[in-house]
Amino acid sequence: MSRFFEQYEPETGHFFDEVIAAEGAPRPHYDKMLQRFTQFSIDDIKARREIVNIFFRNQGITFTVYGEDEGVERLFPFDLIPRVVPAHEWETIEKGLIQRITALNEFLNDIYHGQKILKEKIIPAELILGSQHFRREFVGVNPPLGIYIHVTGSDIIRDREGKYLVLEDNLRTPSGVSYMLQNRQAMKRAFPVLFDKYKIRPIENYPQELLRTLQEIGPSSRREPNVVVLTPGIYNSAYFEHSFLARQMGVELTEGKDLVVNNNKVYTRTTRGLELVDVIYRRVDDAFLDPLVFRPDSKLGVAGLVNAYRKGNVTLANAIGCGVADDKVIYSFVPKIIKYYLGEDPILENVQTWLASNPDDLKYILANLDSLVVKAANESGGYGMLIGPESTIEEQEKFAEMIVANPRNYIAQPTISLSRHPSFFNDTELWGCHIDLRPYVLYGKTVTIVPGGLTRVALKRGSLVVNSSQGGGSKDTWVVDE
Amino acid sequence: MLSRVAESLFWMSRYFERAENTARFLDVNFNLLLDLNKITHVENPNYWIALILVTSDKERFNSLYESYSARTVTDYLVFNKNNPNSITSCVSLARENGRSIIESISSEMWEQVNNLYHYLQSVTPQFVHNDPCGFYKEIKNASHLFQGITDNTFSHNEGWDFIQIAKYLERTDNIARLIDVKYHMLLSDTQNEDEIVEGSEDIIQWMAVLKSCSALEAFRKVYLSKIDPDNILRFLILDRTFPRSINFSVCAAEDALWRISGSSRHRYVNNADRLIGKLEAELSYTAIEDIYAKGLHHYLEDLEQRLVKVGEQVHLTYFAYHTPEIEPVDIEEALPFTGVAGGRAYWSQAQQHQQQQ
Repeated sequence: MSRFFEQYEPETGHFFDEVIAAEGAPRPHYDKMLQRFTQFSIDDIKARREIVNIFFRNQGITFTVYGEDEGVERLFPFDLIPRVVPAHEWETIEKGLIQRITALNEFLNDIYHGQKILKEKIIPAELILGSQHFRREFVGVNPPLGIYIHVTGSDIIRDREGKYLVLEDNLRTPSGVSYMLQNRQAMKRAFPVLFDKYKIRPIENYPQELLRTLQEIGPSSRREPNVVVLTPGIYNSAYFEHSFLARQMGVELTEGKDLVVNNNKVYTRTTRGLELVDVIYRRVDDAFLDPLVFRPDSKLGVAGLVNAYRKGNVTLANAIGCGVADDKVIYSFVPKIIKYYLGEDPILENVQTWLASNPDDLKYILANLDSLVVKAANESGGYGMLIGPESTIEEQEKFAEMIVANPRNYIAQPTISLSRHPSFFNDTELWGCHIDLRPYVLYGKTVTIVPGGLTRVALKRGSLVVNSSQGGGSKDTWVVDE
Repeated sequence: MLSRVAESLFWMSRYFERAENTARFLDVNFNLLLDLNKITHVENPNYWIALILVTSDKERFNSLYESYSARTVTDYLVFNKNNPNSITSCVSLARENGRSIIESISSEMWEQVNNLYHYLQSVTPQFVHNDPCGFYKEIKNASHLFQGITDNTFSHNEGWDFIQIAKYLERTDNIARLIDVKYHMLLSDTQNEDEIVEGSEDIIQWMAVLKSCSALEAFRKVYLSKIDPDNILRFLILDRTFPRSINFSVCAAEDALWRISGSSRHRYVNNADRLIGKLEAELSYTAIEDIYAKGLHHYLEDLEQRLVKVGEQVHLTYFAYHTPEIEPVDIEEALPFTGVAGGRAYWSQAQQHQQQQ
């Protein structure tokens, strides 16, 4: 074994280690990788790190950190050791996600039409109708092909036994897919020989698949649909990704001020006059889309866009009002949703969840704040979270107050020891860092998942938070055929 | 092409050219002082006030500094962030425009804008004081490199044409101002417009102007050593082949505008094409005597105002696209000038919308 791995402590008694099995031997699909790393010295690793850093810097792959000095741009931390997912495990993930996304789309279609699932009291109606992401004004609106969630990215974790569980569904504007693509490019530069040793399924066709999906959902009876990407602008932390995807698809990157609605049709303002737009891949939240309907102070949206959408003259990806289904409270109902619409048992299970809005659960949550993870239902990016075992008494008391004041807004889950993966620290030693996985699901005429996703790594020692805004990084993810 | 993208290309190019020309302004002033052996009087305000007067920036300058000197004027024109036309401000604005359309320009172009920006962040006033000519040369070379990179890495289509329009409109404006700096220098010497005479000192000053346009050698090839003001003005204003003459620059801007719209001689399709065509035609049939008859200063001032009008029409035609229901905004309001006096101030980019979230 490589000397890096000789000193590596997998702590398999406490965690599921992705590389080293409980008996201390490497898992078979990591064999060839470990053999390769045996041949590297610290200097070799440092040299490869330099290749990767230059690649990322030249590509301008940075993200902006909120709350720090204006204009702080950082390289997204990247770990050199790729994660390997064997084909048979990937099959479970793929099937499970297709099932889950299909059911969630059925659910949205129902919520915005007949609301059967509420009438049959499978889900308490007040949870849906009271959700801040439920858009009453879209009840009865028919998106093309009946699809609401064209681009999604569910977060998947593994528990102590290595079982894949869904932690969160991101049905609005999941980001990170550009990192997935760039990580692969960086790895090809830095470790070409490794690519020779594995049959790695390609992911490079993601932009084409995305464009195909977006073209498939164009308003019917149209010529080749004109697709644009809508970004909040250069100060948005994911601006690089918006610009990257537009470039890769060969479509226009637009800001709100580039679009204008006339007679319920959406146009881009160009030097040759107005050009009709059919599909908008929007990376702007619902609330900012149209100042006439949502937040009147929004300068990121387009006045009149919502009416054009309701008239069916333009398709938005994703549809408006999807947030109601990725709410962390609704999350706990997803197994029931799958059963209800598809008559199947979920292939990928949920993490056990207690709802503060349920009186019995609330009692349990308040009594166990020191061991649970408490999350606000509508926050993302690792904000608004209490990690019980790492929190102080004061923090727990503060959360207890907030939960009691607004139980609908909180859920709790057991503290899961996410699986760990050896990751370089200072390029000299390996630490076991917690990871998750975000595959990207495209839903057009069919559901497509490029094999892989973004593996996020909590690069702070012992940290469970993998979000980039909280010091997380990422690594390349290889789905390999055995 | 999206109007916003076209507009950002236009202003990126224009601010880059403006930074280069400000460097040339300062350079010509240093050269004049050197050539006139007046370097010992380098702090004499008379030699510096002209640079501020010609940009109609007197009020803003006076609000920031107490006197006109090499130090204050250089600081104002090179570093001051409150002066939107300082070299530092122009390069920052060029970079901001480039950053907002980073997916539309070539990565080499972006790198060059970015490099100059970071270079300027590292330069201190002392550095400029020690080697002013070296510093201005850096700026000029960076601009030339940017133009070369653009020509060789960016498709010569509509976007490239907007870059050309911006570059040549800005350059025309600046050649006119550069000649005017020399004019003000003479005034400050004689205090009387009628007393301008052709002494040897005068010739040396004109040579400095030529040098600052990189025009001395090109001039000699046409007029040999007959360096007299008539020939120099003929060359800088009316020559059709030298890339830093007014006539050449107007022709180049006209070509680019016509390529975009499909206009041709005797047939224009919009007001920008009409105004630039009119200007070009007049320049083609102007003799130096006509310029004298009007008065050099007034001729240049009129020219600058007409360039502003062309710029306004470019904005209206291509950038400020409006739907039929929406009334076009008053162009005077939409395009704030950076100065106020006499319409002689630099034209600047409308305030970019601040983004939120």
